[in-house]
Amino acid sequence: MMTDDTNTFVLFPLGKKRFALPAEKVTELAKPDRLQTFPQRTPLMTGVLVRRGRIVPVCDVAQALIGRDAPAGKFYLIANRQFESRREWTAIPVTGECELTNVQPQQPQSKLPEYVLGVLSLENEIVEVLNLEKLIAAEASA
Amino acid sequence: MRQKRTLPRRGAREDVILFTVGGFRFAIAAAAVTEIRSMEGLTRFFGGTGHKAMAKTVYTLERNGVTHFVVSGAQHFHLPPSKPTRVLVLRHAAAAVLVDSTDRMVDIAVLHALPLGFRGDERNWYRGLAILNGDAVPVVNPTAFLSKGEVAVLRATMLRMQGVAV
Repeated sequence: MMTDDTNTFVLFPLGKKRFALPAEKVTELAKPDRLQTFPQRTPLMTGVLVRRGRIVPVCDVAQALIGRDAPAGKFYLIANRQFESRREWTAIPVTGECELTNVQPQQPQSKLPEYVLGVLSLENEIVEVLNLEKLIAAEASA
Repeated sequence: MRQKRTLPRRGAREDVILFTVGGFRFAIAAAAVTEIRSMEGLTRFFGGTGHKAMAKTVYTLERNGVTHFVVSGAQHFHLPPSKPTRVLVLRHAAAAVLVDSTDRMVDIAVLHALPLGFRGDERNWYRGLAILNGDAVPVVNPTAFLSKGEVAVLRATMLRMQGVAV
Protein backbone atom coordinates (compact mmCIF):
# COMPACT_ATOMS: atom_id res chain seq x y z
CA MET A 1 0.00 0.00 0.00
CA MET A 2 1.35 3.44 -0.85
CA THR A 3 1.32 5.89 1.99
CA ASP A 4 1.83 9.60 2.04
CA ASP A 5 4.36 10.31 4.78
CA THR A 6 2.88 13.73 5.49
CA ASN A 7 -0.38 12.04 6.45
CA THR A 8 1.18 9.40 8.65
CA PHE A 9 0.80 9.89 12.37
CA VAL A 10 1.70 8.09 15.57
CA LEU A 11 -1.26 7.90 17.93
CA PHE A 12 -0.38 7.70 21.60
CA PRO A 13 -2.55 7.45 24.71
CA LEU A 14 -2.36 9.75 27.71
CA GLY A 15 -4.90 8.43 30.17
CA LYS A 16 -8.27 8.12 28.46
CA LYS A 17 -7.39 10.40 25.54
CA ARG A 18 -5.22 9.85 22.53
CA PHE A 19 -3.07 12.42 20.78
CA ALA A 20 -0.96 12.26 17.64
CA LEU A 21 2.43 13.35 16.42
CA PRO A 22 3.51 13.46 12.78
CA ALA A 23 5.31 10.16 12.17
CA GLU A 24 8.42 11.88 10.85
CA LYS A 25 8.92 13.37 14.32
CA VAL A 26 8.92 9.99 16.04
CA THR A 27 11.99 7.81 16.31
CA GLU A 28 10.79 4.83 18.34
CA LEU A 29 8.58 3.56 21.12
CA ALA A 30 10.78 2.56 24.01
CA LYS A 31 10.08 0.15 26.81
CA PRO A 32 9.85 1.45 30.37
CA ASP A 33 13.13 2.80 31.55
CA ARG A 34 14.40 4.31 34.76
CA LEU A 35 13.70 8.02 34.92
CA GLN A 36 16.64 9.81 36.45
CA THR A 37 15.91 13.16 38.01
CA PHE A 38 18.03 16.06 39.15
CA PRO A 39 17.18 19.63 40.14
CA GLN A 40 16.17 21.73 37.14
CA ARG A 41 13.68 24.47 36.32
CA THR A 42 12.33 23.76 32.84
CA PRO A 43 8.55 23.31 32.67
CA LEU A 44 7.45 19.78 31.60
CA MET A 45 10.98 18.37 31.77
CA THR A 46 11.15 15.66 34.41
CA GLY A 47 14.63 14.18 34.03
CA VAL A 48 16.60 12.00 31.67
CA LEU A 49 16.87 8.42 30.52
CA VAL A 50 20.23 6.82 29.89
CA ARG A 51 19.75 4.63 26.84
CA ARG A 52 22.74 2.76 25.49
CA GLY A 53 25.06 5.42 26.90
CA ARG A 54 23.01 8.22 25.36
CA ILE A 55 21.25 10.81 27.52
CA VAL A 56 17.65 11.41 26.49
CA PRO A 57 15.68 14.19 28.18
CA VAL A 58 12.16 13.33 29.31
CA CYS A 59 9.33 15.75 28.62
CA ASP A 60 6.04 14.93 30.33
CA VAL A 61 3.51 16.60 28.02
CA ALA A 62 0.65 14.91 29.90
CA GLN A 63 0.99 17.59 32.57
CA ALA A 64 0.02 20.20 29.98
CA LEU A 65 -2.53 18.15 28.06
CA ILE A 66 -4.52 16.37 30.74
CA GLY A 67 -3.27 17.85 33.99
CA ARG A 68 -1.27 16.70 36.94
CA ASP A 69 -3.52 13.71 37.63
CA ALA A 70 -2.31 11.98 34.51
CA PRO A 71 -1.53 8.30 35.08
CA ALA A 72 2.09 7.29 35.10
CA GLY A 73 3.64 6.56 31.73
CA LYS A 74 4.19 2.93 30.75
CA PHE A 75 6.35 3.52 27.71
CA TYR A 76 8.36 6.32 26.20
CA LEU A 77 7.72 7.70 22.76
CA ILE A 78 11.03 9.01 21.48
CA ALA A 79 10.50 12.11 19.37
CA ASN A 80 12.90 14.39 17.58
CA ARG A 81 13.04 18.03 18.58
CA GLN A 82 14.76 20.70 16.53
CA PHE A 83 16.95 23.31 18.21
CA GLU A 84 18.16 25.67 15.49
CA SER A 85 20.44 23.43 13.47
CA ARG A 86 20.57 20.63 16.03
CA ARG A 87 18.18 17.76 16.54
CA GLU A 88 17.70 16.11 19.89
CA TRP A 89 15.78 13.08 21.02
CA THR A 90 13.11 13.68 23.63
CA ALA A 91 11.29 10.92 25.50
CA ILE A 92 7.58 11.47 26.07
CA PRO A 93 5.94 9.23 28.68
CA VAL A 94 2.80 7.61 27.25
CA THR A 95 0.32 5.42 29.07
CA GLY A 96 -0.10 2.57 26.61
CA GLU A 97 0.61 1.14 23.18
CA CYS A 98 1.00 3.49 20.23
CA GLU A 99 -0.47 3.07 16.78
CA LEU A 100 0.56 4.22 13.34
CA THR A 101 -2.19 5.63 11.17
CA ASN A 102 -2.40 7.15 7.73
CA VAL A 103 -5.22 9.63 7.49
CA GLN A 104 -5.80 13.09 6.06
CA PRO A 105 -5.72 15.64 8.90
CA GLN A 106 -8.47 18.22 9.08
CA GLN A 107 -8.48 21.77 10.26
CA PRO A 108 -10.23 21.99 13.61
CA GLN A 109 -13.82 23.27 13.50
CA SER A 110 -13.58 25.05 16.82
CA LYS A 111 -10.83 27.21 18.27
CA LEU A 112 -8.10 24.99 19.63
CA PRO A 113 -4.77 25.87 21.22
CA GLU A 114 -2.04 27.00 18.86
CA TYR A 115 -0.10 23.79 19.47
CA VAL A 116 -2.79 21.73 17.73
CA LEU A 117 -1.71 21.32 14.11
CA GLY A 118 -4.95 19.70 13.06
CA VAL A 119 -7.32 16.93 14.00
CA LEU A 120 -7.67 13.35 12.85
CA SER A 121 -11.20 12.09 12.49
CA LEU A 122 -11.05 8.41 13.36
CA GLU A 123 -13.84 5.89 13.76
CA ASN A 124 -14.94 6.80 17.26
CA GLU A 125 -12.76 9.66 18.23
CA ILE A 126 -11.23 12.95 17.24
CA VAL A 127 -7.51 13.05 17.86
CA GLU A 128 -5.51 16.26 18.10
CA VAL A 129 -2.22 16.37 16.20
CA LEU A 130 0.38 18.16 18.29
CA ASN A 131 3.14 20.54 17.42
CA LEU A 132 5.53 19.53 20.17
CA GLU A 133 7.63 22.70 19.98
CA LYS A 134 4.61 24.97 20.31
CA LEU A 135 3.18 22.89 23.15
CA ILE A 136 6.41 23.09 25.14
CA ALA A 137 6.84 26.79 24.35
CA ALA A 138 3.27 27.51 25.46
CA GLU A 139 3.87 25.76 28.75
CA ALA A 140 7.17 27.58 29.28
CA SER A 141 5.51 30.95 28.84
CA ALA A 142 2.44 30.06 30.94
CA MET B 1 22.36 33.99 19.04
CA ARG B 2 23.95 30.58 18.90
CA GLN B 3 23.82 28.67 22.08
CA LYS B 4 27.14 27.86 23.68
CA ARG B 5 27.21 24.17 24.47
CA THR B 6 29.35 22.01 26.62
CA LEU B 7 30.38 19.36 24.18
CA PRO B 8 31.29 15.89 25.28
CA ARG B 9 35.01 15.90 25.79
CA ARG B 10 36.33 12.50 24.98
CA GLY B 11 39.67 11.45 26.30
CA ALA B 12 39.92 14.35 28.75
CA ARG B 13 39.61 12.54 32.05
CA GLU B 14 38.68 14.51 35.10
CA ASP B 15 38.53 13.79 38.82
CA VAL B 16 35.25 14.80 40.42
CA ILE B 17 34.01 14.73 44.00
CA LEU B 18 30.54 13.28 44.52
CA PHE B 19 28.27 14.97 47.03
CA THR B 20 24.59 14.98 47.93
CA VAL B 21 22.07 17.71 48.57
CA GLY B 22 18.43 17.01 49.32
CA GLY B 23 18.74 13.38 48.27
CA PHE B 24 20.24 14.23 44.88
CA ARG B 25 23.74 13.29 43.88
CA PHE B 26 26.02 15.81 42.20
CA ALA B 27 29.63 15.96 41.09
CA ILE B 28 32.07 18.83 41.19
CA ALA B 29 35.54 19.00 39.65
CA ALA B 30 38.05 18.08 42.33
CA ALA B 31 40.23 20.91 41.02
CA ALA B 32 37.49 23.39 41.92
CA VAL B 33 37.49 22.44 45.60
CA THR B 34 40.23 23.50 47.94
CA GLU B 35 38.88 21.99 51.15
CA ILE B 36 36.06 19.83 52.46
CA ARG B 37 35.34 20.64 56.08
CA SER B 38 32.77 20.28 58.81
CA MET B 39 30.41 23.09 59.72
CA GLU B 40 32.50 24.19 62.66
CA GLY B 41 33.70 27.77 62.61
CA LEU B 42 30.94 29.14 60.40
CA THR B 43 29.42 32.50 61.26
CA ARG B 44 25.73 33.01 60.64
CA PHE B 45 25.06 35.53 57.88
CA PHE B 46 21.76 37.25 57.33
CA GLY B 47 21.74 40.00 54.76
CA GLY B 48 18.00 39.91 54.12
CA THR B 49 15.97 38.21 51.45
CA GLY B 50 15.75 41.04 48.93
CA HIS B 51 18.44 39.61 46.67
CA LYS B 52 18.67 35.93 45.74
CA ALA B 53 22.35 35.88 46.73
CA MET B 54 21.34 37.07 50.20
CA ALA B 55 18.65 34.47 50.53
CA LYS B 56 20.92 31.55 49.73
CA THR B 57 24.02 32.76 51.60
CA VAL B 58 23.60 31.49 55.13
CA TYR B 59 27.06 31.63 56.69
CA THR B 60 30.45 33.21 56.23
CA LEU B 61 33.73 31.42 56.76
CA GLU B 62 37.02 33.11 57.53
CA ARG B 63 39.87 31.09 56.12
CA ASN B 64 43.48 32.25 55.74
CA GLY B 65 42.34 35.87 56.02
CA VAL B 66 39.76 35.48 53.25
CA THR B 67 36.00 35.62 53.75
CA HIS B 68 34.03 32.93 51.97
CA PHE B 69 30.28 33.27 51.56
CA VAL B 70 28.71 29.93 52.34
CA VAL B 71 25.81 29.16 50.03
CA SER B 72 23.10 26.66 50.93
CA GLY B 73 23.24 23.99 48.25
CA ALA B 74 19.57 23.24 48.85
CA GLN B 75 18.52 26.83 48.27
CA HIS B 76 20.80 27.21 45.28
CA PHE B 77 19.11 24.24 43.59
CA HIS B 78 15.64 25.26 44.80
CA LEU B 79 15.32 22.15 46.94
CA PRO B 80 13.51 21.82 50.27
CA PRO B 81 15.67 22.52 53.31
CA SER B 82 18.10 19.69 53.90
CA LYS B 83 20.51 18.71 56.65
CA PRO B 84 23.95 19.92 55.66
CA THR B 85 26.96 18.47 57.40
CA ARG B 86 29.86 19.46 55.16
CA VAL B 87 31.22 22.56 53.49
CA LEU B 88 32.92 22.55 50.10
CA VAL B 89 35.30 25.49 50.01
CA LEU B 90 35.78 26.48 46.38
CA ARG B 91 39.18 27.25 44.97
CA HIS B 92 39.85 30.76 43.66
CA ALA B 93 36.31 31.79 44.60
CA ALA B 94 34.55 33.70 47.31
CA ALA B 95 31.94 30.96 47.60
CA ALA B 96 31.70 27.83 49.67
CA VAL B 97 28.80 25.39 49.50
CA LEU B 98 26.84 23.61 52.21
CA VAL B 99 26.14 20.02 51.22
CA ASP B 100 24.50 17.14 53.03
CA SER B 101 27.36 14.72 52.55
CA THR B 102 30.39 14.06 50.45
CA ASP B 103 31.13 10.71 48.92
CA ARG B 104 34.20 9.55 47.09
CA MET B 105 36.27 10.98 44.30
CA VAL B 106 35.80 9.36 40.90
CA ASP B 107 37.33 9.75 37.50
CA ILE B 108 35.04 10.65 34.59
CA ALA B 109 36.00 10.20 30.97
CA VAL B 110 33.12 11.97 29.23
CA LEU B 111 31.18 15.05 30.16
CA HIS B 112 27.89 14.95 28.26
CA ALA B 113 26.32 18.25 27.29
CA LEU B 114 23.12 19.03 29.13
CA PRO B 115 20.35 18.25 26.63
CA LEU B 116 19.09 21.37 24.87
CA GLY B 117 15.57 20.65 26.09
CA PHE B 118 16.65 21.96 29.46
CA ARG B 119 16.26 25.72 29.20
CA GLY B 120 16.12 26.96 32.80
CA ASP B 121 18.62 27.91 35.49
CA GLU B 122 20.12 24.44 35.17
CA ARG B 123 21.97 25.58 32.06
CA ASN B 124 24.05 27.76 34.37
CA TRP B 125 24.10 25.35 37.31
CA TYR B 126 25.66 22.45 35.43
CA ARG B 127 28.63 22.00 33.15
CA GLY B 128 27.02 18.83 31.90
CA LEU B 129 26.13 15.30 32.92
CA ALA B 130 28.41 12.42 33.75
CA ILE B 131 27.27 8.80 33.56
CA LEU B 132 28.43 6.83 36.59
CA ASN B 133 27.41 3.16 36.69
CA GLY B 134 24.45 3.96 34.46
CA ASP B 135 23.34 6.94 36.52
CA ALA B 136 23.29 10.47 35.13
CA VAL B 137 24.98 12.78 37.60
CA PRO B 138 25.01 16.53 37.05
CA VAL B 139 28.48 18.04 37.17
CA VAL B 140 28.05 21.43 38.78
CA ASN B 141 29.48 24.68 37.51
CA PRO B 142 31.39 26.05 40.50
CA THR B 143 31.11 29.65 39.27
CA ALA B 144 27.32 29.45 39.34
CA PHE B 145 27.01 29.37 43.13
CA LEU B 146 27.80 33.07 43.34
CA SER B 147 28.41 35.37 40.40
CA LYS B 148 30.91 38.22 40.63
CA GLY B 149 28.01 40.65 40.92
CA GLU B 150 26.47 38.65 43.74
CA VAL B 151 29.78 38.54 45.59
CA ALA B 152 30.04 42.33 45.25
CA VAL B 153 26.54 42.71 46.71
CA LEU B 154 27.39 40.36 49.58
CA ARG B 155 30.67 42.14 50.35
CA ALA B 156 28.91 45.49 50.40
CA THR B 157 26.24 44.10 52.69
CA MET B 158 28.83 42.61 55.01
CA LEU B 159 30.71 45.90 55.21
CA ARG B 160 27.46 47.74 55.92
CA MET B 161 26.62 45.25 58.68
CA GLN B 162 30.10 45.58 60.20
CA GLY B 163 29.67 49.36 60.12
CA VAL B 164 26.40 49.08 61.97
CA ALA B 165 28.00 46.75 64.51
CA VAL B 166 30.75 49.28 65.20
